[in-house]
Amino acid sequence: MKSILESKVPSKSPLKGEICYSDIFAENTNISSMVLQDGKVSQAQQVCLYGAGIRAVNGTETSYAYTMDLSENGLMKAASSLTPSPLRGEGLPLKRFSHPFLPSSRRGVGSEAARQFLLKVEEKALSLDASVIKVKAYVSQRMQEVQFAANDGTAFHDFRPRTSLSVNIVMERGGRTQMGFASRMMQMGAEFFSDSLIEEVVREAISRTDFLFSATQIEGGEMPVVMAAGSSGILLHEAIGHAFEADFIRTGDSIFTGKLGKEICHPSICIVDDGTQPNDAGMLRYDDEGIPGQRTILVENGRLNSYLYDRISAKHFGVKPTGNGRRESFRCIPIPRMRSTYMLPGEAKEEDIIQSVKRGIYAQSFTNGQVQIGAGDFTFFMKTGYLIENGKLTRPLRDLNIIGNGPEALRRISMVGDNLKIDHSASMCGKEGQKVAVSQGLPTVLIDKLIVG
Amino acid sequence: MIYRAEEDIKRLPDKLDYKLVLLENHEDNIILRDGKIEKMLRATSLSLAINLYLDGRDGFFYTNDLRRDSVSNFIKQAYETTRLLEPDESRTLANPDRYYKGGGPDLQNFDATLSEIEPSEKIRLLRETDSEIEGSDKRIISMQTRYSDRQHQAHYLISNGFDASEQSSYCTLTSIITVEGKGGQHPMDGWGESRIFFNQMPRTGIAPTALRRALQKIGQHPAPGGRYRMILESPVAGNFLQPILNAMNGQALQQKTSFLLGKLGKQVLSPLVNIVDDPLQPSTRGASLFDYDGVATRRRELFKEGRLQTYFIDTPMSKKLGMKPTTQGIHRLIMGPSSPNLSPEKEGTSILVTDFNGGNCDLVTGNFSYGIEGLLIENGNIIQPVSSMNITGNILDVWQRLSHVSNDADPWETEVIPTLTFEDVAFSGC
Repeated sequence: MKSILESKVPSKSPLKGEICYSDIFAENTNISSMVLQDGKVSQAQQVCLYGAGIRAVNGTETSYAYTMDLSENGLMKAASSLTPSPLRGEGLPLKRFSHPFLPSSRRGVGSEAARQFLLKVEEKALSLDASVIKVKAYVSQRMQEVQFAANDGTAFHDFRPRTSLSVNIVMERGGRTQMGFASRMMQMGAEFFSDSLIEEVVREAISRTDFLFSATQIEGGEMPVVMAAGSSGILLHEAIGHAFEADFIRTGDSIFTGKLGKEICHPSICIVDDGTQPNDAGMLRYDDEGIPGQRTILVENGRLNSYLYDRISAKHFGVKPTGNGRRESFRCIPIPRMRSTYMLPGEAKEEDIIQSVKRGIYAQSFTNGQVQIGAGDFTFFMKTGYLIENGKLTRPLRDLNIIGNGPEALRRISMVGDNLKIDHSASMCGKEGQKVAVSQGLPTVLIDKLIVG
Repeated sequence: MIYRAEEDIKRLPDKLDYKLVLLENHEDNIILRDGKIEKMLRATSLSLAINLYLDGRDGFFYTNDLRRDSVSNFIKQAYETTRLLEPDESRTLANPDRYYKGGGPDLQNFDATLSEIEPSEKIRLLRETDSEIEGSDKRIISMQTRYSDRQHQAHYLISNGFDASEQSSYCTLTSIITVEGKGGQHPMDGWGESRIFFNQMPRTGIAPTALRRALQKIGQHPAPGGRYRMILESPVAGNFLQPILNAMNGQALQQKTSFLLGKLGKQVLSPLVNIVDDPLQPSTRGASLFDYDGVATRRRELFKEGRLQTYFIDTPMSKKLGMKPTTQGIHRLIMGPSSPNLSPEKEGTSILVTDFNGGNCDLVTGNFSYGIEGLLIENGNIIQPVSSMNITGNILDVWQRLSHVSNDADPWETEVIPTLTFEDVAFSGC
């Protein structure tokens, strides 16, 4: 079998034009994870990602290559396949690039400490409820070291630790089985591993699993939906967040195209996308294009204040980038992505919001969601919640898909609670095949009408 | 490279079993936006995946830092991590009797020229695709045409007697169109086709199909909720089968979280359901002579007239469950038509589902709720495009109500599932 590496790969790209901007993004990432299952920590994974992506940009045209050879020769070879070539004009920013990486830059805990942590998770779960028959727990430590240099003089070196814990619980009662889960993900190293975190996550997983024994589905239709504080921030992520990403605005695909400065919801509503929250999964000291981390006000007093810009879309619109240029790894071209997206608190009390609903849904926890950028139609899957009848939470509910239209749903938010909560569950957002860590938050809000499955 | 890594493992203080997989990939991605090149990405990469087994301890390790010292150090760290694990006697390599021993057919599923084709030729294909609809409709807001191809090669070396290589390739051409809709909406839809060889790529039809699908969405709104016949279009029909495939997984059975637990040999779906996994058909995507464990693949019946024929049981799960191992998972799924002479029922009201929009299915109970969009059809005539609707129910109940299986599946897909018709499905809408 002839190796792919022996192929005569064409060395010149047919793109024409002058280089305006070029950058190098190099990373050395070590991901170590362990799994507890059936009472044993008998599985482990370690992943090493090492390489650099080189980008040449002319206007909105991007040419990209990546290499695992971080020597000067290796980088030059990868760059030589790009056109417009960063080897001409302002050149490849090699001089601002301070490789090599430090060897084995671990700042988490070692394998034995991670193993002991998982054993404690199981011990806690089994001690809290006799119905627990299976515990599966997964801990992952991702230590990413990044170096970046651009031909406009921007350069940074960053270390990004990210640790997560996921707990799956299976409970059995009277011959019936239910499965639930809870998770956390933070930009932390060794400080993530605390007994209080185990307590919090295990209790949450058991509580959700326990809830499923009594919960049912209901016949769907249009009805008011009260979104509980915290993970309901998925509403913002799906209903408006993606449609605010400026690549979709530049191409005219987004339903929010041309709405900058216009009133899109009640004047009391403010929504931000924030890269400055300490230890948050979406925190960025610098984004993956060298733009400093910042807090971007998307909606201010009901008006669309800003989109989420990467360098290319910001240049296209003649504004400053907002620090939202992100990529999954050196193999990927950066694109506008969310960080931590949340709504600022209002003044209503949660009990007053629930009391205002004659018949509707109180949506509490979620598993997944998605959006159609052009139509603005979004969905999220409610795992647990309640039926609201005459202002009171009555029947426990589960497994309902909730559908709405982004701009309409925003306009239909009629009450905003005073209880903003940021959700730190392990939340990965996918776009164009790239996954990045995000978080979201919401105070309790009332949406007057959504379609419930 | 792979033999050097093997030497490093053999130098470790303990005698370990191991699986080494050296992966080579080449990828080309080109995006044309409104006739101009927006993005080009091309790269060739090499990486090494390692499984170490030490007395029931099992570690998985992956690195693309293949410098000589880096690999040696990585293997030493991998060994130290594996040593710390607790023994679990189920976690071993597969029985070598089950390995692929050669002599299989030439699968003809690798285009060796893909990485050598000039990008200008691939761009020409994109421009030809675009030109079919360029300027044809004033409602077009943006046109994106994507070409991507990938060559994949893997060399396996397993300590209990497996040394083999495999290769595959595919190229995909996709057109995504956004059009001006009603009420400020920008309906978007796409169409794509994949082949193994570049010279098999279709030169016509992709962009017009994408445009037709986008225009078809203009004026979408939910239909009244109720029970309708559901016609699931072939490209998305596989999504509705996925929860059932998930429930056949050995891990779900062992964790007691599968709604198919204890259902082997039983009638769980409509008698119209005949599904096989056939990895040995030459010139098809997904074809493979062996799985990731080195185990020889074979044609396998999953459902025969609605009866569950097998679970997906790998080596560790076979030991935990006390069942015979089958396969890690599916390679190329094929669902046969119900009857070539039988036409689907056209009388009454149906909803043709052209895409899913979110939702989920509970693996323990099989209860689901999925968002859908498509067309409301009465007596064979399109009434309106619909969106923002949910279908709900229990996945096994709905699959019992399958009334027709067409014969329109795309043979180039890895899941060859035709258009399906289900009776009496609960839709929630306005």
